[in-house]
Amino acid sequence: MSKSLENAALRLSGISKHYGYIKALDDVDLEVHPGEVVALLGDNGAGKSTLLKVMSGAHQASSGEIAVNGRKVDRYDPRVASELGVEMVYQDLALIDTLDISTNLQLGKEPLMPFPLNLLGFVDFRRMHEITETQLERLGVRTAPAERPVEMLSGGQRQVTAIARAAVRLFERGKGTILMDEPTAALGYEQTKMVEGLIRRMADTGFAIVLVTHNLPLCFNVSDRIAVLNRGRKVADVPRSEADHSSVVAWITGAERAIA
Amino acid sequence: MSHDAIDAGAPSGGAANGAVVKRQLPPDVAILVFLRDRGIFVLWVLLLVIFAVWNHPYFATINNAMLIVSAASLTAIFAAAVATGLFSGALDLSLPGVAALSTCVVGVLLKQFGVPVPLALIGGLGVGFLCGLINGYIVLRGLNPLIVTIGTLSVTSGLAALVVGGYAISGVFELEFMGSARYFGIPSHAYIVAVVYLALTIFLTRTRHGIRMRAVGGNSEAVRRAGLSDQRYKILGFIISAMLASLGGIMTMALVFEASANASPSILFTALTAVFLAGVSLAGGRGSLPRVLIGALVLATISDALTIAGVPPYWATVATGALMIGALVFDKTMTESISARLVKVSTMTVHEKASK
Ligand SMILES: Nc1ncnc2c1ncn2[C@@H]1O[C@H](COP(=O)(O)OP(=O)(O)OP(=O)(O)O)[C@@H](O)[C@H]1O
Ligand SMILES: [Mg+2]
Repeated sequence: MSKSLENAALRLSGISKHYGYIKALDDVDLEVHPGEVVALLGDNGAGKSTLLKVMSGAHQASSGEIAVNGRKVDRYDPRVASELGVEMVYQDLALIDTLDISTNLQLGKEPLMPFPLNLLGFVDFRRMHEITETQLERLGVRTAPAERPVEMLSGGQRQVTAIARAAVRLFERGKGTILMDEPTAALGYEQTKMVEGLIRRMADTGFAIVLVTHNLPLCFNVSDRIAVLNRGRKVADVPRSEADHSSVVAWITGAERAIA
Repeated sequence: MSHDAIDAGAPSGGAANGAVVKRQLPPDVAILVFLRDRGIFVLWVLLLVIFAVWNHPYFATINNAMLIVSAASLTAIFAAAVATGLFSGALDLSLPGVAALSTCVVGVLLKQFGVPVPLALIGGLGVGFLCGLINGYIVLRGLNPLIVTIGTLSVTSGLAALVVGGYAISGVFELEFMGSARYFGIPSHAYIVAVVYLALTIFLTRTRHGIRMRAVGGNSEAVRRAGLSDQRYKILGFIISAMLASLGGIMTMALVFEASANASPSILFTALTAVFLAGVSLAGGRGSLPRVLIGALVLATISDALTIAGVPPYWATVATGALMIGALVFDKTMTESISARLVKVSTMTVHEKASK
């Protein structure tokens, strides 16, 4: 596939970010294409989360350019990002524990009952659950029933719900970018596998995905491309096929560089 | 396969559409959930049975039931006010002040300006609306709601005294229809409580604005990230809460025929007791309104029964306080053992699969 011909879903060029005297990012370029999973690796404090926050608009870059779907964006914040189809799955998940899976997924576009009940804002729960089940089906996710409160879910189910929510918001436009910061940090083997499968399926339906992780097996299982940060600089950016465990470790520790 | 199994993300494309199997909670967890969520109903029924036997034949009479309903009504209205605030994520301590100010405004409108009753009532509720709006706006500037509403508590009760010129306005008989009046033998307050609780419960659980309001209390960040204004819903919470306090104040005046600038915090604490008895969380977003109503009824039932039995009233205070703490402990224990059990179920699934 000749990626240079198609527009990147999200492209960063020359991004730097200072926190006071700390230079968290130094002239970083990164792009992710539709259908592609880019794994972003790096040691603690390498700047991964910072880069992801710049991509989601949560933090402003000190310098550099951001382009979404090939178009340069001037003012970039989470709202603009969301309008352009860039969704972030936050580490804190931001789920509403007391409400059910369905409500968490459909918040802001709840289906209403037929006239005249819609005038009073009555929510059609049956349809809402159906919509949720269909969407989860499409993502190939089986968690708990859609009407189960989130607080009664396991860690893996919560993580899947948060990821599914980001995907569901992009369903209508059919494409978009999903950013994830360590989605499997707190998960066991089985649950990591579940999230892994979900990420792969979302990429296969055409979403562009940037995945920050410390989990190398996960990285090798799902990613198409691997980018490595070291002290704020990008030290490697290669197709997965050109990376192996020892080279990745060398990049992470800063022993080697490889920019494709 | 176990009930709440986490399917390892197996693509379900192959599963026939109609064949979605509803995964139920394990029975032990279901019982715990039932006890946690319905425990207060069970408790109330138990209390009724015990008191009926203990105070036979004076307790289980229609007349006494009406006394309990009467006594519970004002607590119930203020408890609804407190609960609505908590659902949307804020504890509003200015409620007694708002109630006093509304009461005094209605009293002055009726007695000094001769305003017709419906207009005076609208005026009173309008005061509540404004107070809620102002509280909401100040809190949204990033200030702590507890401290802000302590401030507005003092402002509103001061204003209330100002409105009535320092004295209570007595002889307000115009509102008897919503005071001591009874219709079909049932106190007028009971009708008001029924309407308020029904409407508010439907609003909170069935309509999208109500659901979003509770969502804000649960996690305002999540609401913001859904592209909604969490601020609007926070303000809405303050407004509903303050208007209910106005209503409670006006109902009190209708009962005692007097508009007093005395913002009594005791009604707030009674309301809080009912609310926490009902398992509403101080952290916001959690709780159910019907349970709050039962909470108010439990308090009224206890003090009524102890009075009938000739037990000194301070024992009722001791009992309700102990009961509330008991309810908190119960709720926490239940919630913890529910999640412990759910986690056990999911890890069990993993081990089962691994050993295959
Ligand atoms: N809000 C902030 N203010 C000041 N410095 C910050 C801030 N956020 C991050 N930093 C600094 O920027 C650098 C990069 O941090 P970042 O969180 O992006 O690392 P990371 O790669 O995500 O690390 P980890 O793997 O531990 O999550 C670190 O030196 C960190 O201390
Ligand atoms: Mg990080």
